[in-house]
Amino acid sequence: MTGRRRWSLTKWVSGTFSVFALLALAALLVLFIRQSLPVWRQEGWGFLTGKRWFYRQEEFGLAPMLHGTVAVALVALGLAAPLGIGAAIFTAEFLSTRLRLIVKVAIELLAGIPSVVYGLLGILLLRDWVYEAMERFEPLSGDTLLTGGILLGVMILPTIMTLSDDALRTVPASQRLAARALGLNSTETVLHVSLRQALPGLVAAILLAVGRACGEMIAVFLVVGRQDNQWPDKLFSAKPLLEAGQTLSTKLGSSETNIAYGDPLHWAAMVALGLVLLALVTFITAIGVRLQRSPHET
Amino acid sequence: MRRKFIHHFFRLATGLCAAAACAVLGLIVWAIVKRGWPAINWRFFTEQILLVGADGGIFYNLLGTGILLVTAFCVSAPVALSLALLHGVYLPPKRRGTLALLLYILNGVPSILFGIFGMIVFVQFLGWGKSWLTGGILLGFMILPTVTIALMERISAIPRKFGEAAAALGLRESQIIRAVILPQSVGGLVTGSLLGLARAAGETAPIMFTATIFAGATMPSGIKESPVLSLPYHIFILAQDSFDPAVGSKLWGTALTLLMLVFLLSLAALPARLKLKQPAHHD
Repeated sequence: MTGRRRWSLTKWVSGTFSVFALLALAALLVLFIRQSLPVWRQEGWGFLTGKRWFYRQEEFGLAPMLHGTVAVALVALGLAAPLGIGAAIFTAEFLSTRLRLIVKVAIELLAGIPSVVYGLLGILLLRDWVYEAMERFEPLSGDTLLTGGILLGVMILPTIMTLSDDALRTVPASQRLAARALGLNSTETVLHVSLRQALPGLVAAILLAVGRACGEMIAVFLVVGRQDNQWPDKLFSAKPLLEAGQTLSTKLGSSETNIAYGDPLHWAAMVALGLVLLALVTFITAIGVRLQRSPHET
Repeated sequence: MRRKFIHHFFRLATGLCAAAACAVLGLIVWAIVKRGWPAINWRFFTEQILLVGADGGIFYNLLGTGILLVTAFCVSAPVALSLALLHGVYLPPKRRGTLALLLYILNGVPSILFGIFGMIVFVQFLGWGKSWLTGGILLGFMILPTVTIALMERISAIPRKFGEAAAALGLRESQIIRAVILPQSVGGLVTGSLLGLARAAGETAPIMFTATIFAGATMPSGIKESPVLSLPYHIFILAQDSFDPAVGSKLWGTALTLLMLVFLLSLAALPARLKLKQPAHHD
């Protein structure tokens, strides 16, 4: 904006509020680091790799929860990514503008369904379906990592769909016309032009959805069984998916947070857990955002 | 031949993906409406919970969620306006990207971490116990990126000539902000706030340790130790042990109420979002 610049009341007020917001953000980071120091001092890197979490014995290891988080996120992604991107290709490339808008509005509306409502559906419906479908593998109950993953997959589906659709729409129409003029049909245009150009945006959509999946608590909390110390014997097998598990965020949401509150070391362990979750999600989200906003050069 | 086959197959496959995705999501809404609708009547909205959720209504839960949302709006609106002005007016263009990135990262922070942060600051440092104000502040902080980004988009859509015309009339920067930028960006504030509040209304994780309880709270009268009831926490608690069919019916009714509230808020934001692509309005 043009106009003479000087310190005015408006500038002071908005400056103060902005500094306040940025300080709050900084405080979040600083407090999480400071309050988790005791457990880093005791466990060191073992906090990340330790397979046992018994707070009464003052043993704190995150590995089973990291496994749980990765497992539910991968199941969710395996379900939602192909379906969501497929659906986005259809809405962005084959639907008329009007229909596309209607579908998009509906999908964004559905992206807003609260996670506790998904959790309710999970606990009263999905849990039983998973148990019945998997009966021959003899799961102990319907509360499994798989159930959490499927529920998360449904939850992130609208996110992947709408972000992928946006990514595909950023490919200029002139590129598509050029491809069609060269004799490609609309499918070949999508495969060779749109998808290739929208690739960073599609990866961003997936990363942002994964970031959300890792941090999602309430819905997973209700169906995942919340069984501690479930480190699988074989890391790369599907068997642990049919057992109850725990993710980083469900641990933070459990009543153990209230129990830990009075005990400095235990509290430090819970806060450190939060810090690891924060680092993980921020890392994934930041890459996603960077990819999303990078210009398409080719 | 082969080209044609691939073409039709691809269209069919992606079409099926879209149909499946819409079907799954449609079924979800239908499942909730079907089970929740019978529970909904006037008494359900005007009475308080009786018999641990098996009878009565959700009046104080609605009230509590309302209080949390109003507080969240009052917290986020001035801060979001300030950050948007910082982004659109005061910051040099080089720094704008950093601010936007920070906002996107804040947007991605898992909501349970706001709950833990709130426990540290408001419960541990300030000794508020569970308080509606903590919940409102945390939710306000959480929706800050949504509101700010909507405002930023609106401000950057204001045509340059508006500001230039105001400057040519001799207005100072602060006068331009008050006379041009703020009136032009009201739409962004409304849209962003509605979208943010739609998200805040359904959040359980930030408020479960800091602001809300299951039963026994009415209108809060102070700040310290004054929790409220809320819709999402009600569902969260009842969902964990609902073997009583009467509770089940009220539970689905609460879920449907929450869903309608969220949909209403985001639908209210829709007209402005569809118009966003058009140029700023002249009055």
